[in-house]
Amino acid sequence: MNIPESIQRRDFIKQLGLASTAALASNGTQAWGNEDIIHPAAKADSCILIWMAGGMAAPDTFDPKRYFPFEKGLEANKILSTFPAINTNVDGLQISEGLENIAQVMDRGTLIRSAVQPDLGSILHSRHQYHWHTGYVPPITVAAPHLGAWMAKVLGPKNEVVPPFINVGQRLEGVGEKEELKAFTTGGFFGSEFGPMNLPYPEQAVKSVQPPQGMEPGRFSNRYKHFKKLLDQNPNRELMSDFQRESMLRSMESAHRLLQSKEKDAFDLTLESKESYAKYGDTRFGRGCLLARRLAEQGARFVEVTTEYVPFLHWDHHENGHTTQARMKKEIDQPIAQLILDLEERGLLDRTLVILASEFSRDMMIEGVPGSTAKDQSRAKTDKLQEMKHYGLHRHFTGGTSVAMWGGGVKKGFVYGKTADERPLMAVENPVSIEDLHATIYTAMGINPKTAYDVEKRPFYATKDGIGKAVKDIFS
Amino acid sequence: MPITIKLLIIGHIKSNINNSPIILLFAFLWPFFLSAKIDFVHQVMPILKKNCAECHTDGKKKGGLSMNTRAEFLAGGENGVMAVPGNIQDSWFLELVESDDLDERMPPKGPGVSTEQFRILHQWVKEGMVWEEGITLGSSGWEPPLQPRNVKLPPPHGGRKHPIDRILDQYTKKNKAAPPALASERTYARRAYLDMIGILPTPEQLNSFLKDESSDKKTKLIDQLLAEDVSYADHWLTFWNDLLRNDYTGTGFITGGRKQITSWLYNALKENMPYDQMTMELIDAKPDAAGFINGIKWRGSVNASQTLDMQFAQNVSQVFLGINMKCASCHDSFIDRWTLQEAYDLAAVFSDKPLELERCDIPTGKIATPKWMFPEIGQIDPKANKNDRLKQLAGLLTHPKNGRFTRTIVNRIWAQLMGRGIVHPVDAMHTKPWNDDLLDFLAVQFAKDGYDLRKFLKFVMTSHAYGSKSDRLEFSPGEEYVYKGPVPKRMTAEQLMDTIWQVTGTNPNQPEANVDRSSNDKSTPFSESKDLPKIENISAKWIWASDPQTRKIKLRTSIELKNKPVFTSLLATCDNAFSFKVNGKFLTSSREWTRPVYHEVSDFFKAGKNLIEVNAEMFGGGSGFIAQFSFGKGKDAITLNTDKTWEVQEKKKWIPAKVVHNYGAGPWKRILDKAVPTIPGQSTFDGPSVRASLVKNDFLMSSLGRPHRDQVVTSRPAELTMLQAIDLANGAILSKYLTEGANNLKAKATDSQKFINWLYEHTLGRLPTTGEQEIIGSVMTNPKDPQQVEDLLWLVFMQPDFQIIR
Repeated sequence: MNIPESIQRRDFIKQLGLASTAALASNGTQAWGNEDIIHPAAKADSCILIWMAGGMAAPDTFDPKRYFPFEKGLEANKILSTFPAINTNVDGLQISEGLENIAQVMDRGTLIRSAVQPDLGSILHSRHQYHWHTGYVPPITVAAPHLGAWMAKVLGPKNEVVPPFINVGQRLEGVGEKEELKAFTTGGFFGSEFGPMNLPYPEQAVKSVQPPQGMEPGRFSNRYKHFKKLLDQNPNRELMSDFQRESMLRSMESAHRLLQSKEKDAFDLTLESKESYAKYGDTRFGRGCLLARRLAEQGARFVEVTTEYVPFLHWDHHENGHTTQARMKKEIDQPIAQLILDLEERGLLDRTLVILASEFSRDMMIEGVPGSTAKDQSRAKTDKLQEMKHYGLHRHFTGGTSVAMWGGGVKKGFVYGKTADERPLMAVENPVSIEDLHATIYTAMGINPKTAYDVEKRPFYATKDGIGKAVKDIFS
Repeated sequence: MPITIKLLIIGHIKSNINNSPIILLFAFLWPFFLSAKIDFVHQVMPILKKNCAECHTDGKKKGGLSMNTRAEFLAGGENGVMAVPGNIQDSWFLELVESDDLDERMPPKGPGVSTEQFRILHQWVKEGMVWEEGITLGSSGWEPPLQPRNVKLPPPHGGRKHPIDRILDQYTKKNKAAPPALASERTYARRAYLDMIGILPTPEQLNSFLKDESSDKKTKLIDQLLAEDVSYADHWLTFWNDLLRNDYTGTGFITGGRKQITSWLYNALKENMPYDQMTMELIDAKPDAAGFINGIKWRGSVNASQTLDMQFAQNVSQVFLGINMKCASCHDSFIDRWTLQEAYDLAAVFSDKPLELERCDIPTGKIATPKWMFPEIGQIDPKANKNDRLKQLAGLLTHPKNGRFTRTIVNRIWAQLMGRGIVHPVDAMHTKPWNDDLLDFLAVQFAKDGYDLRKFLKFVMTSHAYGSKSDRLEFSPGEEYVYKGPVPKRMTAEQLMDTIWQVTGTNPNQPEANVDRSSNDKSTPFSESKDLPKIENISAKWIWASDPQTRKIKLRTSIELKNKPVFTSLLATCDNAFSFKVNGKFLTSSREWTRPVYHEVSDFFKAGKNLIEVNAEMFGGGSGFIAQFSFGKGKDAITLNTDKTWEVQEKKKWIPAKVVHNYGAGPWKRILDKAVPTIPGQSTFDGPSVRASLVKNDFLMSSLGRPHRDQVVTSRPAELTMLQAIDLANGAILSKYLTEGANNLKAKATDSQKFINWLYEHTLGRLPTTGEQEIIGSVMTNPKDPQQVEDLLWLVFMQPDFQIIR
């Protein structure tokens, strides 16, 4: 049954343009016995990862538990959720107040409530983010490629003109832990061909496909025309036709092709109608979602759009959790729902896998998991609520995290896994490790989780040691 | 069958999830998962290694059966075919493995294969015995020799007497090829400049080389480049930073879990420290160099294979011996002969406490013994303390009989110069070299020359081979590589930045690196002055801020004079740089501590109170400032010396300066005695331009392949990618350099013909052709238009001929 699929894939590779097949073979990374790897049939061609950076508390978002409103003197350990539950458009499925728009698209996707992460000693955002994005716990001996880099490497670009891996909304300079962020926002040992195109400010994304500031488009295209003419006049051009030169010219050509293509308009948010622009809300994250949709429409293979990780900001709260989460939910609710609806309306949702995830969850009382040695990072060190800033899920929790998925062949209106109803809120049914979650994502995208490439003469697998197993139950 | 796999999975997951209920739940989950194929490397290999390898690999063929590779195993032995993929019945080895009859059972010794393991083997055969190509059960067929080997040189051919050429001529003859022809002198000069000091020859430098008619002009050029201590260090710092995982920013720094070795490294390069001594100082952890062996301490818990001890084992093996201990840090290596035990034993040399072996994160109960891998030339005393163990290891690494040490470094440098290692990849020294005579000869020569890195560069760069036309390769060379001349190299990110900065004059102002870039060039940066009195009786003291590591400080003092002085001398120097002001007026400055200033400065002083202010800066290493004023001559002279009465500004307050040393003491000894009288003013020596290796990584360099040095990285990407091309086409960083550069070159560009020739010779090492001139003419219609200059700069910098070193 698998063989025809593999043939299918080989044909697909053949159909890719010269540039991308060369890319697949270049950079010194060779497949490690991949001739024998049979890739599953892809359920999706594009992937959008909506990243809730900083630790989104499941009990206050997608996995509501017993709710107690704020009350001075209330014992903190009584509280599991700081928001009441609301109904969704799926019978029997409730999520948290503040996600009313998302509640109306839950019928289009699957909610995993039992994702688990290892407890890496002191639980640190950037290390867990590294793990989540690469499948490997840092430090490791080689630079691990990002999930998006794996898709770029194995699948190549979906539309040859559009870079296959685009990263929206995360600044890599001027923020805390930037070096730690850079360490996983990379093509790793695959090389920068497969690394991210970084677009930290969605509204300025267009600049990255425009001529440099202050240069008229005419001057820009003339410059490239002259470049090609000069190459023709180079006295050594015959002698110097070698692989380095050819790859350089090919890449220059691809870059200029994008910069003069119709696809570049995808980067320009001002081309979106006012009405539709407004639907994504007036936030950087909202505009990031809009940009992700536009890029997916034009054939981006993998887009990550993030609420942005900045230490102690956004989802990363260590006090005042209730208020912060209310604000964060307001920021994400409408754009995410709109993204799903827009993709659906354009007929793209079926072949686009949208994933919403976070590096770990949060809890009111437990840091890490029960018995963890992790240092308590909460600033609200009190058993009783004295003031509003004590009210919220302030502690990192790795025992049960929610991941939502839409499109890309996942079941509709489906819930997978379960966490306990009383503390500790551990996954008690169908826990999904990072390896298995990645295997599920890769499988949906048509990548065998055992795919491996050679680095320093040893195999490096898409999921750690090739052990990831897709959660088949969530596929329709 | 599923049961077995499930247990193995738990083994891998266990260390990651602390909570046991989850592990059990995981087990129940199994049937819902995608049914998996047997994984040869992780499931079958360990069983075969443990039970079969001893008698059936590495030349041992009990019963005629060899099992190094799948093909050997399938070929069978004296008793015929042992295994048939997909056929359980005919795979006789399964029967032998399962047998209860101890006379017949395999393996004959020990408890044999467990039921679970048998099921894996059974399933593996059923699935067709997948055995990934390139994986051998034994060690790879070829074991590199450890000891150095003296190579008898073949006789010279065609007047090519250089030992490298004698060996290579024999090689090319064997391949029935002619030795590659010499490259043009223009190509040679450009290549030599970029390889040795990382920047381009100016048209003047290029032409003076071309005009030189002496027969040894190449040697002279190399000598001249080798003497450029600072530029050499600036360029080679990149290579060593990659190799020694050293950088200014990166993971680990925010928590103090990592230390730079930049000052030490830069100085070692500038002073041309012999490589064996460098190694000893790195391993023996001289304080400035300790950042290398101490690794990167991550917050939180890490895998057993990534503890500081294991990082030590991996980095030391990789960097100095070209051995990959990364596999062996988790389990016995599948790709070469290194074992878990050997990796841990080496780590134990560094470890502060007894080190327990963990196999794939599971403790084994075995304790490692501090040891290294080649006892044939000596061993570490396991009872010695850590410092002594490190010293012993350093001694063994640099031992004259350790040919692997010298082969590894000469191969790395050969790859830098010739575009491809004699052994490739450079970190896998167990791979067969394409010419072992060449490798062995170079290694021995390098040791003979005192492990002198620059001498070795010269040795290679004066060969016919280095000066040959480069090889034209249609594809990135694979394992079938045959030498046909140097392989063109793509400029590193740093070289590209340095050369663009060099041509456009846009170097950054401030280095990030704390390094001493004063040159060993002893010529004075000031014009000489009339005689000043002989220097004697110096009572000034070396002073600095209370923390000797403070990089930039402000000092001040004042003096009341009854009259405007008739004669005043100033004698001063600073490790590393200073700038003097008297009564608000600039007096003198220097960045060369080895060349003190000695001036007559009476004009700067007045009757009454005089304020003396100094800005001083230390680049790294030692810090100290010393100055002595004499008002008048002879016995009546009043002196004003640096001492604790001077003030230093700390936290916006003026406090007494700290006396660091008396004159004559400290690393500077009696440096002021050597001062030459000069006229005060701006030093003609304003310090070398800041180079890319000395500044933090930025988006452009990172995009162009400058690595985040969290791991040892020893090769840079050979090809330009689309994302890089976008950054070069419209990126803000490059655009800024071009705009600024066009502005800097404004005056030069007005004579457009001269400018175009200058630009072509500087960047490409040649003049433009008529065809090129025509196109450039249509770009440069108005040389006064900076935008046109900017476009021309881009056009030239984007030429493959520019970015590729041929």
